[in-house]
Amino acid sequence: MVAPLRNKVETSRAYWTFVIPAFFLYLLVFAFPIVLSVILSVSNYNGGKLFGGDAWTIVGFQQYEKLINDPNFWMALKNNVYIVLISVFGQIPLGFVLAYLIYRKIVKWGEGWQAILYVPAIISVIVLGMMWKLVFAPNGVLADVMNGMYAETFLTSLKHIVQSAGGLTHVTDDFVKQLMNISNAASLQSFAHPVSDLKDLIVGGGYTDQNLPVFLSDMKNLLAPTWSPDFLNQQDVSMVPIMFVTLWCWTGMYLILFHANMQKIDDQIIEAARIDGASELQVMWNVIVPNLSGVIANAAILCIAGSLNTFALIWAMTEGGPMHITQVLAIYMYQNAFVGHPNFPLANAISLAIVLFSFLLIGVTLYIEKKFGGKQA
Amino acid sequence: MKRLALVLAMIALIVAGASAADKTVLKFLYYADASAASYSSDMAAFEKFKAANTDIDLQMEILNNAPYHQKLGAYIAAGQLPDVVFLWPTSRDSSALLHDHKLLKDLKTVLPADFLKNFSSLALDPNNQSSHQLSSLPQTFTYTTTVYVNTGLLKSLGLKAPTTYAEMKALVPKLKVKGIKTLLLPDADGWPSQSCLFSTVSGRLLGDSFIDNIKTGKAKWTDKAFVDVLTFWQQMYTDGVLSKDDVSLGYGDGPGLFVSGKAAFFVDGDWRVGNYLTDKATGKALISPALQATDFDLMNFPAIAGELNKNSVSAIAGTGLGINKDATGAKLEAAKRLLTWYYGKENQTMKWETGAFVPSRTDLTSTTLEPLAVKLPAYYKTIAKTTYVIDGATDPSVFNILNAGLQGLGLGAKTPAGVAAEMQAAQNALKK
Repeated sequence: MVAPLRNKVETSRAYWTFVIPAFFLYLLVFAFPIVLSVILSVSNYNGGKLFGGDAWTIVGFQQYEKLINDPNFWMALKNNVYIVLISVFGQIPLGFVLAYLIYRKIVKWGEGWQAILYVPAIISVIVLGMMWKLVFAPNGVLADVMNGMYAETFLTSLKHIVQSAGGLTHVTDDFVKQLMNISNAASLQSFAHPVSDLKDLIVGGGYTDQNLPVFLSDMKNLLAPTWSPDFLNQQDVSMVPIMFVTLWCWTGMYLILFHANMQKIDDQIIEAARIDGASELQVMWNVIVPNLSGVIANAAILCIAGSLNTFALIWAMTEGGPMHITQVLAIYMYQNAFVGHPNFPLANAISLAIVLFSFLLIGVTLYIEKKFGGKQA
Repeated sequence: MKRLALVLAMIALIVAGASAADKTVLKFLYYADASAASYSSDMAAFEKFKAANTDIDLQMEILNNAPYHQKLGAYIAAGQLPDVVFLWPTSRDSSALLHDHKLLKDLKTVLPADFLKNFSSLALDPNNQSSHQLSSLPQTFTYTTTVYVNTGLLKSLGLKAPTTYAEMKALVPKLKVKGIKTLLLPDADGWPSQSCLFSTVSGRLLGDSFIDNIKTGKAKWTDKAFVDVLTFWQQMYTDGVLSKDDVSLGYGDGPGLFVSGKAAFFVDGDWRVGNYLTDKATGKALISPALQATDFDLMNFPAIAGELNKNSVSAIAGTGLGINKDATGAKLEAAKRLLTWYYGKENQTMKWETGAFVPSRTDLTSTTLEPLAVKLPAYYKTIAKTTYVIDGATDPSVFNILNAGLQGLGLGAKTPAGVAAEMQAAQNALKK
C-alpha cells in the first residue's frame, strides 16, 4: 500500500515534480508555436536565414487585411462551416441513433454492425479519398452507371426511329431531325449546319441495315445525352460529395463512443421508463440523451476540432479544386505556405483564423451544453 | 574473446568514422519522374558518378511534381537549402523564391568559360531567368506546347491531322462517333492548361508585346483583345475540341489515356516525349519504337483564325541545376564537379537518347535515338517563333488566377470578362 503524503511541502513537491515537465513540454510544443505564429503573422518574414537582405520586422495587420479581402478565404471558411455542420449535426446524431439501435438490441448482429460502421475510421483517409474520387469523377463509377442508363433510353428511341423510317436505306432530313430531337444538344454544337452535316456524316459513314449495330453504337457515342456530375463544379454544391464521405467516414467512431457510454447507464432507469409506458423514442430522448449530454458535448468538440483540421481527405479527393471551390482553411493555409509563391505571414494569419474560429465554436458548444445539457452518466 | 571482438568493432567504427570525415557531404535535391523511360538510366548515371567520386558523399533526395516544390519551399523556409538543387529558370512554384532572393550562385562566375561555351546562347542568357543571372544552367530549351498525334488511329478512321483549328474542330464528330476525344488536356493540377496550350494561343493571337505592355501599364488584362483570347479558350470546350471532363483529370493521367487511344491528340510540353520511349532498365516502352515510327507523331498546334504570329509556340529556358550561394571551399568544389559531370557530354547524350529532353549542349551526336526522340527536332523546325510562357512572364498572384480561371472557363463556371477582371485586380494589387 502506498503511504499517504505527510505534509503540505511534500504534497507541493510531488505536485510540481509532475507538473513542471508537462508545463515546459506544453510551452515548447503548444504555446511557443502559437506565439511564434502570432508574431510571424504580423511580420514581413518570408523565409529562413538564407534570404539575407533586410531583417524581418513587425509590419502590423497587413496580412489580416489581405485575408479579409480575399474571396478565397471566405470560400474556404464557408466550406469549413459545411464540414463542421455535417460533422456536428450529421455524424453525432447518426452515430447516436445507430449506437442506440445496437445498445437496445433493436437491430440484430449489433457487434457486426459496429465493426462494419467503424471500418472506414481505421482506413487511411488518403485511400478513402482516392476511392471516392473514382466514384464521383466525371468519368467515374457514378457517371458510368448514369450514362449507361441514358444510353439505353437513347438506343431504345433510336431503334424506334430507324424502324419507323424502314431502315437506313433512305436517310431523310426528317429522319435526321428526329434523331436530333433525342440527342444531346451539346453534341450538336460541333456542327455548323446540324441537319445537313449530320446527314452527310450518316450517309458518308456507309451505314446499312446489315451493320445496324455499328450505326447504333456510333450514334450512341456521338449523340446520346450524357450525365456529367457538373454540379460538383459549382460552388457550395461541390462540397456535397465531400460532406457525404465525411459523414460515412467518421460516424462509426461516434457510434463506438456513444455505445461505450450507454453501457454505463443503469438498466433499471430504462426498465422503469418502459414500465411507465415510455416508447423507445421517448426513452432515447428523455433518458439516454440527458444522461449522455456531457459525452455529446465532448464529441461535438472533437468533431469541431477534427472538422477544422480536415485536410487529407479533401486533398485526396479534389486538392481543393477545381477553381479552389472545395478548398478549406487548412488547404488554403497549406497552399499559401508551401505551394507556388509562399507567403508565410499570410499562412500564419490563416492558421490563427483557424484557431480563433475553433475557439468560437467550442465556446458555443460548451455554452449550449451548460444551458441545456443534463448530467453525465 | 568478447573483449577482442569489442576492440575490433571499435577500431572498425573509428576507421569508418575517419573515412566518412574525409568525404565532402553534398546535399542534392533532384527532380525526377520515376515513370519516365529515362529514370533508370538517370539513376545509374548518378551511381557511376558516386563510384568515380568517392571523396564526395552525395546525399540525393529525389522528388517529383508537387511534392518536390513543397519540400523545396519547406527547406527554404527553414533556412536549410541543399547545396545543389534542381530548379526552373522562372518564377514557377518553389523556384520563385530561389530567384527572388538570389539564393543561388551565378554559374557564370562558377563554371569555367571553356565549359560554358558548349551551350546554346539561349541557355546562357541571364534574361531568360527571373533572377537575371545564371542561377541554373538550363539543360534544354523547353517548348511548352507540343501536340502528340496518334496518326495510326487517324489513319484507321480515314482521317488526317489538321493544319487549322477549323479542321481540328471538323474532326470532333468524326472522332466522337467512335468514342474518341479530340484533344486531351488533363488539367486538375491547374497549370497544364495555361502552360501547355493557353500561352501558345495567347502568343499567337496577341504576341509578347501585350504582356510587356501589361507590365508597363500600357495594357490591361481586361482589354478586349485578351478577353477575346479567353473567349476563344472557352469556345474550344464548346466546340468539343477540348473536353470539360479533362479538367478533373490529373496531369499524370495523360500519356496512358493518349496511348490507349482515348484521344487522337494530346497536348503537353515537349518533355513528355521521355515518357513514351524504352526504359533501359526494363526494356519496356509506353510506345514501342516500331509504333513510334509508324503510328505517332508530333505537330505544332493548328493555325487559329486571325493569329498574328503564325506557327509560334510558347517556350522557355528549361530546368537545370543550381548551387547554393553559401557553398564554399570543398563543398563548392564538389558541387562544381557534380555540375561539370551532370552537364558533361556523356551524361547529356544519355539524357537525349533516353528522351528526357533535347539538350542545350551543342556538341552532342547520337546514332541510337528512338523514332519519337528523332521527331522532336523535326517538330522544332516547324516553329517559326517562340512566345512567352505566361507563368514565366507574369507574377504568381496573376497567373494563379489565370490557372483557376481557365478551369472555370472550361467548366462553364466563369466568364472570360470575369476571369480578366480578376487578373487585372491582382495586377493592380501588385502596384500597391
